[in-house]
Amino acid sequence: MLEQRAPFTVRRRRVLLENLTAWLFLAPAGAIIFLFGIFPVTFAFFVSLHRWRRFPDDFRGLDSYVKAMGNFGYVVFFWLSLALLLLAAYTFWRLWRDCRDAPGRAGWILPGVAGAGALIALFNWFFTLLPVVLNVPVRLRGQEMTRDLFIGEFFASFRFEAVLAAADVLWTLLLLFVLALLLARRFLPGAEALRLLLLATGAALALTAGALLLQLTLDEIGLAIAGAQEDGLELPVWSQIILISAGAGLLGAALWLWQGALGDYMDGRFAGRVLLVVLAVIGAVLLIVQLPQALAEADDDMLQGFSVTVMYSFFSVPLQLTLGLGLAVLLFQEIRGKSFFRMLYFLPYITPFVATSTVFSLLFSHRSASPANQFLGLLGIESQNWLLEPTGVLRLIFGEQVPVALAGPGLALVVIIFYNVWVYAGYSTVIFLAGLGNIPATLYEAARIDGATGWKQFRHVTLPLLSPTTFFLILIATIGTFQAFTQIFLMRRPGAFKAVDTINIYIYEEIQSGNPNYAYGSAMAFVLFAVILVLTLIQNRIAGRRVFYG
Amino acid sequence: MAERVQQIEVMQAPARRPGRGRALGYLVLAAGGLLAVLPFLWMLSWSLMTNVEVTVGRVLPAQVHWSNYLTAWDKANFSQFMWNSSRITAITVCGLLMFCVPAAYAFARMRFWGRNVLFAIMLATLMIPDIVTLIPNFLTIVWINRLSQSLFGPAGAWMNNWPSLTIPFMASAFTIFLLRQFFSQIPDELWDAARIDGAGHLRFLLRVVVPLSRPAIMTVVIFSFIGSWNALLWPLLVIQTDEWRPVAFGLTKFVQADAGDEFHLQMAASVIMILPILLLYFVAQKQFTVGIATTGTRG
Repeated sequence: MLEQRAPFTVRRRRVLLENLTAWLFLAPAGAIIFLFGIFPVTFAFFVSLHRWRRFPDDFRGLDSYVKAMGNFGYVVFFWLSLALLLLAAYTFWRLWRDCRDAPGRAGWILPGVAGAGALIALFNWFFTLLPVVLNVPVRLRGQEMTRDLFIGEFFASFRFEAVLAAADVLWTLLLLFVLALLLARRFLPGAEALRLLLLATGAALALTAGALLLQLTLDEIGLAIAGAQEDGLELPVWSQIILISAGAGLLGAALWLWQGALGDYMDGRFAGRVLLVVLAVIGAVLLIVQLPQALAEADDDMLQGFSVTVMYSFFSVPLQLTLGLGLAVLLFQEIRGKSFFRMLYFLPYITPFVATSTVFSLLFSHRSASPANQFLGLLGIESQNWLLEPTGVLRLIFGEQVPVALAGPGLALVVIIFYNVWVYAGYSTVIFLAGLGNIPATLYEAARIDGATGWKQFRHVTLPLLSPTTFFLILIATIGTFQAFTQIFLMRRPGAFKAVDTINIYIYEEIQSGNPNYAYGSAMAFVLFAVILVLTLIQNRIAGRRVFYG
Repeated sequence: MAERVQQIEVMQAPARRPGRGRALGYLVLAAGGLLAVLPFLWMLSWSLMTNVEVTVGRVLPAQVHWSNYLTAWDKANFSQFMWNSSRITAITVCGLLMFCVPAAYAFARMRFWGRNVLFAIMLATLMIPDIVTLIPNFLTIVWINRLSQSLFGPAGAWMNNWPSLTIPFMASAFTIFLLRQFFSQIPDELWDAARIDGAGHLRFLLRVVVPLSRPAIMTVVIFSFIGSWNALLWPLLVIQTDEWRPVAFGLTKFVQADAGDEFHLQMAASVIMILPILLLYFVAQKQFTVGIATTGTRG
């Protein structure tokens, strides 16, 4: 074959060399990113499906997720598997559309599917091997651990019956994949081969993952219902799944109709609006009634952690962005000492959290001589306990008649929110300044000629053109506040009970306790991941309509 | 004619802002600046007081006690922790540059099979929250530690040793992305010229790309420095002996346990800890702001 293409040999050699060099350049960084950045995600999911304290134990299915989220866990996994199946269907549809005009290209689906099979077999082999390897110390318990014994047992792990069986499947599928690939290269048109191959692999992977997940979810639901029946109880998992899905679906449909699909058409038509409102109200009522029931068995500490996280984020982000925007707009004018001010504002952001949160805990100390309490004294207000005070601020201000549920963040959390705003306002300022610099001066001139000054310019030129920056900052700040750990870990005091314990702190406590539960910790980490993803998607959707990219 | 004059006046009017408005602007900016540095000033002032002065709420020390720094340094065992953090930072930064510069170069300037797919996968890892990878990475490190120790003896230890603190941070998708953006701006003519002179990719990278990209590399170094100076959660998990614990841990332990009531020493130790970062900030300030303004995070 090479001889046929003799004129291109030199070029082919160069291409090959370039490929090899590039892969060599990538190898070390790629290995580290894979080992500590990509593989851990699948590993964490594997851990979360087992009983896992110090060492891996038996398979427990969705138990950890149900422990965290109650019956809502089943709902989420049901949705997840449906989403994966939908993704598979959509990808297959795209494949079909691509191959409709050139049926020959459909042949590429075969190696793609074989590749997906090989990948799944690889996963299967690896995750069969992993617990066997991780349990080497358990199997050697009671014997004196010598080097040879350990190494021997380590290599013996590869020859466990289950591992060998998985390896056989892997080799077979790998062989099939290579064969299919070679055949396809020989006989099929090469145009867009990689794309088709990847599409087919992705579709097959999504199909398998979705089917497996659905199977697991259905099994787990069946088990849970059977278990409850033995105790003479009724477990309304299915009605919850149906009602919550219906509620979310109706709300989604209402939003979709309102946003675009029929928005123009129905505008001003009374019947259309009534339909919208009815859809939205039914959906919302379903959710409001069903969600608390589905979450009734959820882990209260985790829910508390989430509510603290949400409050922390909800109050920090707008404050730090508003302050940052104000300072940036002031700094952007023709003034002296611009870089000096910028340097000052940036100072809190670059100094280590450990040092600055130590200062903050002294500034907001409960002692009556602390600066914060002295300041309150100047205003004629009695001293507060600050970081030791779990009571909600509204309750502190307006007294006992405010219900606990509406009391807002505890005073301790408010101090940490102050800290967060102090650290990140300057950061927002710098990013906003960069954004302001990108707005063409001609637009301001045009606005001036049209007679817009001051507030009008800000409202109709600056804000819209700054919206990409604002959106970016909102996204970064939300994700950051949801993941905050160090500053909260350092400023939390036993006296504040759980008023400042965000979900991250709770997970940390779970894995640092004397008897760490890695499975539950991983499951909660995934719940947090899912919440962050959903928030990002929602923000993206909202931004899609509002952000102006010039 | 009159209309045009009026227009020009309209155009100029906002540029010549009334003095009062500008003074107000300065006032707000100065207030913001004061708020930003006030905690630092307090930290400094408290670090020079006696403990009694801190507890009764004095603002300035009656007498300046420089000796607090020496006491704090000794009591917090900072000789050890500072040395640890310096070692950790140096190893991490070297590894980071060694691994990420070639990878970024490959993504920026080489054509190879699977480039776009790999790049997309790498960018996707940026979305994964740290907490998700925390537990499995800990388990992985525990395991590598076991295996490596039985292969190489105590010297091969990963836990309670430098590898667990540095190797996972020697490659970051963020760093590679940042460097790639910079490398791709280098004009192709330079590569053509280098190739005519007989240079290969490695030589071009070391002789042309790296020297030209010094600002980007400085930014990466600074981010990595801050990152390893700040690190607390991960060292808490993988290090159990003082021999390799970083300064962030040292300060935390000092504040929470050893000097629970000695606030002046807490503050002195805090000042010592932020000093290297502040020095770096004042020396390379432009790098900081430019790097963050173009990338959005501090890695």
